[in-house]
Amino acid sequence: MRYMLIMEAPESMRIGEADAPPAEEAFEAMGRYNTELVDAGVLLAAEGLAPSSEGFLVTHDGEGPSVTDGPFTEAKELVAGFWMLEVASREEAVQWARRCPIGPGVTLQVRRIPEMAEFEGVAPAELLDAETTLRQRIAERQQA
Amino acid sequence: MRFMLLLKYDENAQKDTPPDPAMFEEMGRFNTAMVDAGVLLAGEGLAPSSQGAAVTFDGEEPTVSDGPFTEAKELVGGFWILKVDSLEEALSWAKRAPFRDGERLEVRRVTEAEDFEGLAPQEVLDAEKELRARQTQQHGS
Repeated sequence: MRYMLIMEAPESMRIGEADAPPAEEAFEAMGRYNTELVDAGVLLAAEGLAPSSEGFLVTHDGEGPSVTDGPFTEAKELVAGFWMLEVASREEAVQWARRCPIGPGVTLQVRRIPEMAEFEGVAPAELLDAETTLRQRIAERQQA
Repeated sequence: MRFMLLLKYDENAQKDTPPDPAMFEEMGRFNTAMVDAGVLLAGEGLAPSSQGAAVTFDGEEPTVSDGPFTEAKELVGGFWILKVDSLEEALSWAKRAPFRDGERLEVRRVTEAEDFEGLAPQEVLDAEKELRARQTQQHGS
Protein backbone atom coordinates (compact mmCIF):
# COMPACT_ATOMS: atom_id res chain seq x y z
CA MET A 1 0.00 0.00 0.00
CA ARG A 2 1.18 3.49 -0.73
CA TYR A 3 0.89 6.29 1.78
CA MET A 4 1.77 9.92 1.59
CA LEU A 5 3.08 11.81 4.62
CA ILE A 6 2.28 15.46 4.12
CA MET A 7 4.20 17.84 6.34
CA GLU A 8 2.24 20.92 7.34
CA ALA A 9 3.91 23.68 9.29
CA PRO A 10 3.80 27.44 9.83
CA GLU A 11 6.17 29.14 7.40
CA SER A 12 7.94 30.80 10.32
CA MET A 13 9.43 27.36 11.04
CA ARG A 14 11.28 27.15 7.72
CA ILE A 15 15.06 26.93 7.96
CA GLY A 16 16.35 30.48 8.21
CA GLU A 17 13.08 31.86 9.61
CA ALA A 18 12.27 33.02 13.16
CA ASP A 19 10.97 29.74 14.63
CA ALA A 20 13.26 27.36 12.75
CA PRO A 21 15.41 24.79 14.55
CA PRO A 22 19.22 25.08 14.17
CA ALA A 23 19.85 24.37 10.48
CA GLU A 24 22.73 21.94 10.78
CA GLU A 25 21.00 19.73 13.35
CA ALA A 26 17.75 19.74 11.40
CA PHE A 27 19.45 18.75 8.14
CA GLU A 28 21.42 15.99 9.81
CA ALA A 29 18.41 14.55 11.63
CA MET A 30 16.36 14.60 8.44
CA GLY A 31 19.21 12.94 6.56
CA ARG A 32 19.29 10.13 9.12
CA TYR A 33 15.53 9.68 8.90
CA ASN A 34 15.59 9.54 5.10
CA THR A 35 18.44 7.04 5.24
CA GLU A 36 16.38 4.80 7.52
CA LEU A 37 13.48 4.98 5.08
CA VAL A 38 15.73 3.99 2.17
CA ASP A 39 17.46 1.27 4.24
CA ALA A 40 14.01 -0.18 4.97
CA GLY A 41 13.19 -0.02 1.26
CA VAL A 42 9.96 1.90 1.85
CA LEU A 43 10.73 5.33 0.35
CA LEU A 44 9.17 5.98 -3.07
CA ALA A 45 9.74 9.72 -3.22
CA ALA A 46 10.24 12.76 -1.03
CA GLU A 47 10.46 16.43 -1.83
CA GLY A 48 10.42 19.78 -0.08
CA LEU A 49 8.62 22.86 -1.30
CA ALA A 50 9.94 26.39 -1.65
CA PRO A 51 8.27 29.14 0.43
CA SER A 52 4.76 30.15 -0.61
CA SER A 53 6.15 33.59 -1.51
CA GLU A 54 7.34 31.88 -4.70
CA GLY A 55 3.96 30.27 -5.26
CA PHE A 56 0.52 30.95 -6.67
CA LEU A 57 -3.00 29.94 -5.87
CA VAL A 58 -5.29 29.10 -8.77
CA THR A 59 -8.98 28.97 -7.87
CA HIS A 60 -11.37 27.13 -10.16
CA ASP A 61 -14.92 28.20 -9.46
CA GLY A 62 -16.76 27.93 -12.72
CA GLU A 63 -16.04 31.50 -13.80
CA GLY A 64 -12.68 30.53 -15.18
CA PRO A 65 -9.60 30.28 -13.02
CA SER A 66 -8.47 33.20 -10.89
CA VAL A 67 -4.88 33.58 -9.77
CA THR A 68 -3.61 34.93 -6.44
CA ASP A 69 0.08 35.54 -5.77
CA GLY A 70 1.86 34.03 -2.79
CA PRO A 71 2.78 34.29 0.03
CA PHE A 72 -0.39 32.71 1.40
CA THR A 73 -0.35 34.74 4.60
CA GLU A 74 -3.85 33.83 5.74
CA ALA A 75 -2.96 30.12 5.92
CA LYS A 76 -1.84 29.13 9.42
CA GLU A 77 -0.09 26.01 8.17
CA LEU A 78 1.21 25.22 4.71
CA VAL A 79 2.47 22.13 3.03
CA ALA A 80 6.24 22.19 3.43
CA GLY A 81 7.03 18.83 1.87
CA PHE A 82 6.06 15.20 1.58
CA TRP A 83 7.22 11.60 1.65
CA MET A 84 5.63 8.79 -0.33
CA LEU A 85 6.00 5.34 1.21
CA GLU A 86 5.29 1.78 0.14
CA VAL A 87 4.34 -0.09 3.30
CA ALA A 88 2.41 -3.18 4.33
CA SER A 89 -0.19 -1.43 6.49
CA ARG A 90 -1.61 1.88 7.65
CA GLU A 91 -0.03 1.18 11.04
CA GLU A 92 3.41 0.99 9.45
CA ALA A 93 2.84 4.34 7.76
CA VAL A 94 1.77 5.89 11.08
CA GLN A 95 4.86 4.43 12.79
CA TRP A 96 7.16 6.02 10.23
CA ALA A 97 5.31 9.32 10.60
CA ARG A 98 5.81 9.21 14.39
CA ARG A 99 9.57 8.78 13.95
CA CYS A 100 9.96 11.85 11.77
CA PRO A 101 12.44 14.27 13.38
CA ILE A 102 10.34 17.39 13.35
CA GLY A 103 9.63 19.80 16.11
CA PRO A 104 6.62 21.17 17.96
CA GLY A 105 4.03 22.85 15.81
CA VAL A 106 4.35 20.51 12.85
CA THR A 107 1.70 18.02 11.71
CA LEU A 108 2.14 15.06 9.40
CA GLN A 109 -0.94 13.97 7.58
CA VAL A 110 -0.88 10.27 6.76
CA ARG A 111 -2.96 9.72 3.63
CA ARG A 112 -3.49 6.59 1.59
CA ILE A 113 -2.89 6.73 -2.15
CA PRO A 114 -5.57 4.73 -3.97
CA GLU A 115 -4.48 2.23 -6.62
CA MET A 116 -6.05 2.05 -10.03
CA ALA A 117 -7.78 -1.25 -9.27
CA GLU A 118 -10.04 0.67 -6.87
CA PHE A 119 -11.52 2.63 -9.74
CA GLU A 120 -12.60 -0.42 -11.68
CA GLY A 121 -16.31 -0.15 -12.15
CA VAL A 122 -16.26 3.52 -11.18
CA ALA A 123 -14.24 4.93 -14.08
CA PRO A 124 -14.72 3.70 -17.67
CA ALA A 125 -12.35 0.80 -18.44
CA GLU A 126 -10.79 2.57 -21.43
CA LEU A 127 -9.82 5.48 -19.21
CA LEU A 128 -8.12 3.15 -16.76
CA ASP A 129 -6.24 1.55 -19.66
CA ALA A 130 -5.27 4.99 -20.91
CA GLU A 131 -3.96 5.90 -17.48
CA THR A 132 -1.83 2.75 -17.36
CA THR A 133 -0.33 3.78 -20.69
CA LEU A 134 0.33 7.31 -19.41
CA ARG A 135 2.11 5.97 -16.34
CA GLN A 136 4.26 3.74 -18.55
CA ARG A 137 5.18 6.69 -20.75
CA ILE A 138 6.23 8.72 -17.69
CA ALA A 139 8.31 5.82 -16.34
CA GLU A 140 10.02 5.24 -19.71
CA ARG A 141 10.89 8.89 -20.06
CA GLN A 142 12.43 8.95 -16.61
CA GLN A 143 14.60 5.93 -17.40
CA ALA A 144 15.77 7.47 -20.65
CA MET B 1 12.45 23.80 -12.59
CA ARG B 2 10.02 21.51 -10.84
CA PHE B 3 6.65 22.65 -9.56
CA MET B 4 4.06 20.86 -7.49
CA LEU B 5 0.39 21.53 -8.09
CA LEU B 6 -1.46 20.69 -4.91
CA LEU B 7 -5.19 20.21 -5.18
CA LYS B 8 -6.97 21.70 -2.16
CA TYR B 9 -10.65 21.03 -1.64
CA ASP B 10 -13.35 21.12 0.99
CA GLU B 11 -13.95 17.51 1.93
CA ASN B 12 -16.99 18.35 4.06
CA ALA B 13 -18.75 19.83 1.05
CA GLN B 14 -18.01 16.75 -1.03
CA LYS B 15 -21.18 15.02 -2.10
CA ASP B 16 -21.61 11.32 -1.45
CA THR B 17 -22.62 10.72 -5.04
CA PRO B 18 -20.12 8.81 -7.15
CA PRO B 19 -17.97 10.98 -9.41
CA ASP B 20 -19.27 11.88 -12.85
CA PRO B 21 -17.66 9.74 -15.60
CA ALA B 22 -17.19 12.95 -17.61
CA MET B 23 -14.84 14.13 -14.86
CA PHE B 24 -12.63 11.06 -15.37
CA GLU B 25 -12.53 11.81 -19.08
CA GLU B 26 -11.59 15.46 -18.61
CA MET B 27 -8.91 14.50 -16.11
CA GLY B 28 -7.59 11.87 -18.52
CA ARG B 29 -7.33 14.47 -21.28
CA PHE B 30 -5.56 16.91 -18.96
CA ASN B 31 -3.05 14.24 -17.87
CA THR B 32 -2.49 13.16 -21.47
CA ALA B 33 -1.80 16.74 -22.53
CA MET B 34 0.86 17.03 -19.82
CA VAL B 35 2.49 13.73 -20.76
CA ASP B 36 2.39 14.70 -24.47
CA ALA B 37 4.14 17.95 -23.58
CA GLY B 38 6.75 15.96 -21.63
CA VAL B 39 6.20 17.93 -18.42
CA LEU B 40 4.54 15.43 -16.05
CA LEU B 41 6.90 13.77 -13.56
CA ALA B 42 4.30 12.33 -11.20
CA GLY B 43 0.67 12.64 -10.23
CA GLU B 44 -1.47 10.93 -7.63
CA GLY B 45 -4.81 11.30 -5.94
CA LEU B 46 -5.37 10.72 -2.25
CA ALA B 47 -8.01 8.62 -0.53
CA PRO B 48 -10.49 10.44 1.75
CA SER B 49 -9.09 11.61 5.08
CA SER B 50 -11.35 9.07 6.83
CA GLN B 51 -8.72 6.49 5.81
CA GLY B 52 -5.87 8.62 7.11
CA ALA B 53 -4.35 9.83 10.33
CA ALA B 54 -2.75 13.02 11.59
CA VAL B 55 0.44 12.89 13.62
CA THR B 56 1.00 16.06 15.63
CA PHE B 57 4.39 16.99 17.04
CA ASP B 58 4.06 19.15 20.10
CA GLY B 59 7.20 18.60 22.10
CA GLU B 60 6.40 15.39 23.95
CA GLU B 61 5.52 12.13 22.22
CA PRO B 62 3.80 12.68 18.88
CA THR B 63 0.00 12.42 19.07
CA VAL B 64 -1.87 10.34 16.53
CA SER B 65 -5.48 11.15 15.66
CA ASP B 66 -7.49 9.14 13.19
CA GLY B 67 -9.21 10.77 10.25
CA PRO B 68 -11.53 12.13 9.00
CA PHE B 69 -10.09 15.59 9.61
CA THR B 70 -13.48 17.25 9.92
CA GLU B 71 -12.15 20.52 11.34
CA ALA B 72 -9.89 21.14 8.33
CA LYS B 73 -11.38 23.65 5.94
CA GLU B 74 -9.24 22.50 3.05
CA LEU B 75 -7.52 19.20 2.48
CA VAL B 76 -5.03 18.01 -0.07
CA GLY B 77 -6.87 15.81 -2.56
CA GLY B 78 -4.00 15.04 -4.89
CA PHE B 79 -1.00 16.47 -6.66
CA TRP B 80 1.00 16.73 -9.85
CA ILE B 81 4.73 17.37 -10.14
CA LEU B 82 5.78 19.13 -13.33
CA LYS B 83 9.13 19.82 -14.89
CA VAL B 84 8.84 23.10 -16.77
CA ASP B 85 11.00 26.01 -17.91
CA SER B 86 9.28 28.73 -15.95
CA LEU B 87 6.79 29.56 -13.29
CA GLU B 88 4.45 30.93 -15.97
CA GLU B 89 4.40 27.54 -17.66
CA ALA B 90 3.47 25.83 -14.38
CA LEU B 91 0.79 28.43 -13.82
CA SER B 92 -0.71 27.93 -17.25
CA TRP B 93 -1.01 24.16 -16.63
CA ALA B 94 -2.66 24.88 -13.27
CA LYS B 95 -5.20 27.09 -15.05
CA ARG B 96 -6.03 24.32 -17.53
CA ALA B 97 -6.88 21.78 -14.82
CA PRO B 98 -10.48 20.60 -15.25
CA PHE B 99 -12.04 21.83 -12.01
CA ARG B 100 -15.03 24.08 -11.49
CA ASP B 101 -16.41 23.63 -7.97
CA GLY B 102 -14.21 26.01 -6.01
CA GLU B 103 -11.19 23.72 -5.95
CA ARG B 104 -7.90 25.49 -5.47
CA LEU B 105 -4.52 24.55 -6.84
CA GLU B 106 -1.47 25.66 -4.96
CA VAL B 107 1.44 26.07 -7.34
CA ARG B 108 4.65 25.58 -5.38
CA ARG B 109 8.23 25.28 -6.53
CA VAL B 110 9.92 22.02 -5.53
CA THR B 111 13.29 22.66 -3.95
CA GLU B 112 16.48 21.39 -5.59
CA ALA B 113 19.75 20.47 -3.87
CA GLU B 114 21.20 23.84 -4.95
CA ASP B 115 18.66 25.61 -2.74
CA PHE B 116 20.42 24.20 0.29
CA GLU B 117 24.03 24.84 -0.66
CA GLY B 118 25.63 26.89 2.08
CA LEU B 119 22.67 26.14 4.38
CA ALA B 120 23.02 22.42 4.88
CA PRO B 121 26.37 20.77 5.65
CA GLN B 122 28.02 19.59 2.42
CA GLU B 123 28.17 15.98 3.63
CA VAL B 124 24.40 16.00 4.18
CA LEU B 125 23.88 17.21 0.59
CA ASP B 126 26.25 14.55 -0.73
CA ALA B 127 24.50 11.88 1.32
CA GLU B 128 21.12 12.99 -0.04
CA LYS B 129 22.33 12.64 -3.61
CA GLU B 130 23.40 9.11 -2.85
CA LEU B 131 20.09 8.34 -1.14
CA ARG B 132 18.16 9.51 -4.19
CA ALA B 133 20.23 7.23 -6.38
CA ARG B 134 19.57 4.25 -4.08
CA GLN B 135 15.87 5.05 -3.89
CA THR B 136 15.64 5.20 -7.70
CA GLN B 137 17.38 1.84 -7.99
CA GLN B 138 14.94 0.29 -5.53
CA HIS B 139 11.71 1.60 -6.96
CA GLY B 140 12.31 3.29 -10.27
CA SER B 141 11.67 6.97 -9.86
